[in-house]
Amino acid sequence: MPGLVDNKLAAKKRKRDTEVLPEKSSAKRKVGKGSKNESSTEDSQSQIPLLESQILESRRHYNNIAKLIGLLRQRTSKSDDHLTAAVSLCRVFCRLRAAGCMTKSKGSAENEVVIVQWLRERYGEYITGLLDLLDDGTPGDQTTALSLLMRLVKDEASNMKGGAEDYPWRSSTFSSLVRKLLTLEHGTDIITEFVETFVTACDDIRFYTCAIVADLTSDALEPTPALSRNVLSILSAIEDPPEKKDDLEEFYTERPKKPTHALLSPTSQKKQVQEAWLALLRLGLNKEQRKTVLGLISHRIAPWFVKVEMLMDFLTDSYNYGGATSLLSLSGLFYLIQEKNLDYPAFYPKLYSLLDENILHSKHRSRFFRLLDTFLASSHLPAALVASFIKRLSRLALNAPPAGIVVIIPWIYNLFKKHPICTFMMHREVRGDDAKDRLTREGMNDPFDMAEEDPTKTNAIDSSIWEIVTLQSHYHPNVATLAKIISEQFTKLSYNLEDFLDLSYQSMQEMELSKEMKKTPVVEYEIPKTIFTKSTDPAYQDSLLVKLWDFS
Amino acid sequence: MPPSQLKRLKASLREQGITGPQQSKKEKKSNKATGRNNDRRVQRNVALESIREQFNPFEVKATTKGKKFGTANDSIVGKSKDPVARPGVTRGLGEETRRKTLLLEMQRRNKVGGINDRRFGENDPFMTPEEKMMERFTREQQSRHKRGSMFDLEDDDDGGEGQLTHFGKSLSFDDAPMDDFEEGDLGVSDESDGEEKRGRKRRRPSEADGDEEVSGEEGEPEPERKKSKAEVMKEVIAKSKLHKYERQKTKEDDDELRDELDQGLPALIALMHGHPAKPAAPPAPATQDPNMHINPERAALMNGAAKPAVDKEYDERLRQMAFDKRSKPTERTKTDEEKVEEEAKRLRDLEEKRQRRMRGEEESEDEAPTRDEEELEDDADDLQNDAADFGFDSAPLPTYSSRRPPVDVEDEDDFLIDDDLVASGSDLDLDAVEEGSDESGSEEEDQDDGEREDDDEEFIGGLLSKDEKDMPEFGFKLPSSTGAATSSNGELAFTFPCPQTHEELLEATKTVALVDLPTAVQRIRALHNPKLAADNKAKLGVFSTVLVEHIVYLANQPSHPPFSVLETLVRHVHSLARTYPDEVGRAFRQQLKSFQETRPNAPTAGDLIVLTAVGCIFPTSDHFHQVVTPASLSMARYLGQKFPQTLHDLATGAYLATLCLQYQRLSKRYYPEFMNFVLNALYVLAPTKPESSNLPANIPYHEPTMSLRLQKAPSAEPKPMHFYDTQPPSAPLKKDAAESLKSTLIATFISLLDTAADLWTGTSAFFEIFEPALQTTQFLQSKASRAKLPQDSVLSKTIRKTHAKLQRVLQHARLARRPLELHHHKPRPIKSVIPKFEETFNPDKHYDPDRERAEASKLRAEHKRERKGALRELRKDASFIARENLRQKKEADRAYEQKYKRLVAEIQGEEGREKNAYEREKRMRKGRS
Repeated sequence: MPGLVDNKLAAKKRKRDTEVLPEKSSAKRKVGKGSKNESSTEDSQSQIPLLESQILESRRHYNNIAKLIGLLRQRTSKSDDHLTAAVSLCRVFCRLRAAGCMTKSKGSAENEVVIVQWLRERYGEYITGLLDLLDDGTPGDQTTALSLLMRLVKDEASNMKGGAEDYPWRSSTFSSLVRKLLTLEHGTDIITEFVETFVTACDDIRFYTCAIVADLTSDALEPTPALSRNVLSILSAIEDPPEKKDDLEEFYTERPKKPTHALLSPTSQKKQVQEAWLALLRLGLNKEQRKTVLGLISHRIAPWFVKVEMLMDFLTDSYNYGGATSLLSLSGLFYLIQEKNLDYPAFYPKLYSLLDENILHSKHRSRFFRLLDTFLASSHLPAALVASFIKRLSRLALNAPPAGIVVIIPWIYNLFKKHPICTFMMHREVRGDDAKDRLTREGMNDPFDMAEEDPTKTNAIDSSIWEIVTLQSHYHPNVATLAKIISEQFTKLSYNLEDFLDLSYQSMQEMELSKEMKKTPVVEYEIPKTIFTKSTDPAYQDSLLVKLWDFS
Repeated sequence: MPPSQLKRLKASLREQGITGPQQSKKEKKSNKATGRNNDRRVQRNVALESIREQFNPFEVKATTKGKKFGTANDSIVGKSKDPVARPGVTRGLGEETRRKTLLLEMQRRNKVGGINDRRFGENDPFMTPEEKMMERFTREQQSRHKRGSMFDLEDDDDGGEGQLTHFGKSLSFDDAPMDDFEEGDLGVSDESDGEEKRGRKRRRPSEADGDEEVSGEEGEPEPERKKSKAEVMKEVIAKSKLHKYERQKTKEDDDELRDELDQGLPALIALMHGHPAKPAAPPAPATQDPNMHINPERAALMNGAAKPAVDKEYDERLRQMAFDKRSKPTERTKTDEEKVEEEAKRLRDLEEKRQRRMRGEEESEDEAPTRDEEELEDDADDLQNDAADFGFDSAPLPTYSSRRPPVDVEDEDDFLIDDDLVASGSDLDLDAVEEGSDESGSEEEDQDDGEREDDDEEFIGGLLSKDEKDMPEFGFKLPSSTGAATSSNGELAFTFPCPQTHEELLEATKTVALVDLPTAVQRIRALHNPKLAADNKAKLGVFSTVLVEHIVYLANQPSHPPFSVLETLVRHVHSLARTYPDEVGRAFRQQLKSFQETRPNAPTAGDLIVLTAVGCIFPTSDHFHQVVTPASLSMARYLGQKFPQTLHDLATGAYLATLCLQYQRLSKRYYPEFMNFVLNALYVLAPTKPESSNLPANIPYHEPTMSLRLQKAPSAEPKPMHFYDTQPPSAPLKKDAAESLKSTLIATFISLLDTAADLWTGTSAFFEIFEPALQTTQFLQSKASRAKLPQDSVLSKTIRKTHAKLQRVLQHARLARRPLELHHHKPRPIKSVIPKFEETFNPDKHYDPDRERAEASKLRAEHKRERKGALRELRKDASFIARENLRQKKEADRAYEQKYKRLVAEIQGEEGREKNAYEREKRMRKGRS
């Protein structure tokens, strides 16, 4: 009876999902209540259990199924009738399937066949109804529909006889459910629920979802933004891959009996997810999605890839994209270069081109500098190239926020330590009288060419880092002190860059203001005669503020 | 094998000629005659002695370690030191010294100089020395107390320094007519007197006829009879009395003479003035006459009139005199030049201090230890953050708020206190306080005080008289628009409570017109001057923080209070900040904190005023300053993070940029955010949208969502920016108003660029900094812009002028540019790892690299040696004592024995004699009978 089904369902689910359960039971309670107390006002409420019980009593009342479907279809905003109908239909079909009423057996009578056929058609209608509910129902409807559908999927799978074990997944209910979910225009909540409840929890659902995703995206003629968005939101939720067979033990339906089944192999699981990702990447992503994917690449995507090289094209494309996208693709690309022997000929020129006016203001600054530190860690790099990086960054530091400057200076120090040839940029004595004469006569231009794109040809090594010297008189005392390390003896082996990376205006300000004053602050000894107003005394020099601003 | 002892002895005897062939009789005779024999004997004895020594194996001891290798200067060094030890001799010497010291001590045991020692507790073995001393001290005090009379002033005279004086003369009655205290037998008189007497005593035997009196005594007919002590003392007393009398006499004479002169003085003065001399005043009543020349007190004392009262008065006077301050030379009045010079010096000092702070050097020596401490801590912590070395450590340090340099604690708010304000009589106390504080403060501070006094009078002095209030210095010029409010000035209350919270201040000044607020503050400060009550200092401290809050509150008012009021308030806060730097600093930091935490990118008018006030009150040129640094960071934060969307955003930015430059007017530090914002703003305001080729490479450009471009530059000269342009306007601006604001903004930014170029000339990267600026001005003059920014408009001319200037200074910067030469450091010595080679290695010596341990072990060895030596000495002493005791005992025994024998012999002798006598008697009787 209803309670039975309910308990069974609850018992199965308790393991994985506790969120849906209370919701469902409360819905149930509501239904029950409605049927008891408000029978006079709402006929259908009491009608539904009646219809349901009649169906189960005898075949004569099978037409009640059609009535219930009708109830499900005609949704009213007020009542929960359609939901009650859907729930009872679910129960009905489960019982019918369990009773074998929905399978044709050999040698059954023709009218039996007709009934089975009819039931199947109704079943199809019911599924469609639920999917429609998923599409345009309220959030509550969607949740119910989703759980009912998944319940049915389970039911189907458990009643499937014979070897075609993945049949219920590949086609029919589950497939249409996933397809529906993927094409939803505005159903991020339900997708999140689906992902959280089922995809991340059960290995088999993940496997088949990915399979369907791969199928679907390769089928789709014109990819809609909704599709890629939904696919991304599903895939991005998939966490760490299974390492060995024992990790695969969460199954929504029964564990496949065949030990060589694809579901039981971590590799095939991985492959399936990889396929799904590749399918997604083939779909074409917009800039934001690309950034999201790049952000996930190291910890969510790459582990699933059996062949990480498959990401190569995507990463190089992203790297060529420019801007923050390039920044984000750096780490992935570097991984490939380092581990998979990827040949990226113009890596350093490209890296150099990333040093634009925004890099020091970017929120990915610390991430970029971590990588940059790694890229330029080699002591075998040509000095001209290193010098270009130093000079360009010091140029940029001239217009950078203090948090950016604070990263650059120790980094430059470390590079100078590693590439002593570059120290000419700090100390270059002019030799020869001719050269000295010319210098006093004509002065000098900075030999460094900021516009040059090739870092080996910028002449930076002939330049000097005047910018850092200027920053020694930065308004912030700590920055100014830090900048002074360049003109002191290089006695320290290297600075730990990590300590300087994660600063911001906010944190620096907090640093200043959170400390209690230890010492009495010095007070200006002279009280100015005027602050805002213009002084009448002609001898008194007005401040810049008074000159430029009108206080009246 | 060496020859045997006997053989060697014989050989050496023979060598010395002691044994040898016997002399013939003849030879002996002749030798005797010439005295050679005698000579010879002496010679012989010496030789024998040396031989004896040579052959006594115990008399000479070779040192355990001889010298192993000879050295060049052996002959010199070796002679000075005896290579052989003579234990016999040393023992003998030891014995000798013992006999001299220990023996004497032994003999003198329990005897002190032949006198019985009856000092308290001396023979009590159960008392510790401290107890003994204590007991003796109490005994002494008790005895003295018993003896001391009520007016025994001499008791204190031992103090010397603490002598009572009056007008530089001692009050110890030395000069006063000598009285009985002087008598020698009291033995407690003045030290100098004692000295004199002693001297006399000493002199007496030597120069017998020098002193006539003494000689008179000496010259008595019976010189052989020595005078007894009592007699001598009597004489001395008589003599001193005579002296006393003579002195009194001369003093009285002097007084009389002086009185006469005094009486003649008016006549003399009259004579000098040309008046006829008045008849002399009738002489004072005769009853007073005898007392005229003596001290009135003494006279009263003599008369015995109202004795207790006089006594009391006398005591009082005496006490007063005792507490009189020693007069000090007053400071010379300074000439004007000196004053000017002093002022210049003070300013120079202050400027020097400022320069030091600007360079980020440590301010004073009291800072040094804390720094060291920190460094030590740093050293100890190996795992510490690199960034923390430069202050980028997010962990807040523990606070030591109590550590505060004691400068400026003193109260500078000295000002003239009117009689109306202060109850009469209390001025005495004030003076006392002032004197006290003056004494404690250093001279420099005094100078500062003086200076501040001048300054602060401006702030608080105005209250004293109503006329003064009109003086232009005080205060503030009333804006003409609020002229009506001046009338209320007269009705302003004269007393205010000292507000301790902002609410209280609002409550207190509720009825006060805004323009009178500075006067009210002035009165609060004067009324609660720290000198008037003990807790005023703390109160005013809190009040200063309230005032800071109130400034912000006022500036944020939508009614836009006049800036003259704000200005005066800020100056009040400044003057308070000198006394309460901590409180004011903390209040400003609090304001900055709330600004930074809640609205870093949307400063209110109050925040802007706070930033301005910080720039005035605190030295912005300091390398690090607890208030200025956060303030300047928050300005830079706005300039760096705010992408201006509206005109008032731009205006706020312009205001902050102006403040940035004003902060750095002395120290000329560089603000990257300033250039970013100003150039970005100019591009945003420019009449045409810049192409990417026009934009400078280093500066990120942010296009606002709504265009802020200049549509049509007004031909009139742009007005200066108004402060309240920085705030969102209440109603959207009209088109022409917006246009004029835009052109004003452009003009302001251009002049900021101009000023910045002046400020930062000479920085090494000047060219890199201002090249984008040149590009910007170039762009503003481009053809595309020209349509909306006509060539002949004032704005355009300004731009052209600045452009030309930038070109000029950039050219100059190019000429002045030189390759960097930062590392003219002295090369560091390479650390050596060659072990140090010890030239004169001695295996017995300890070469401990750890100095402390080496010293400790050295000390330990010395202690051990000394201990052994002491033990040995003690042992020897003990044996000496034992020997000595034995000797004494033997001696005593022998003496006893002798005595006994003598007595026995005597008795026996007597017995024998008696027996003989008896026998004789018997015989006689027999014979008779």
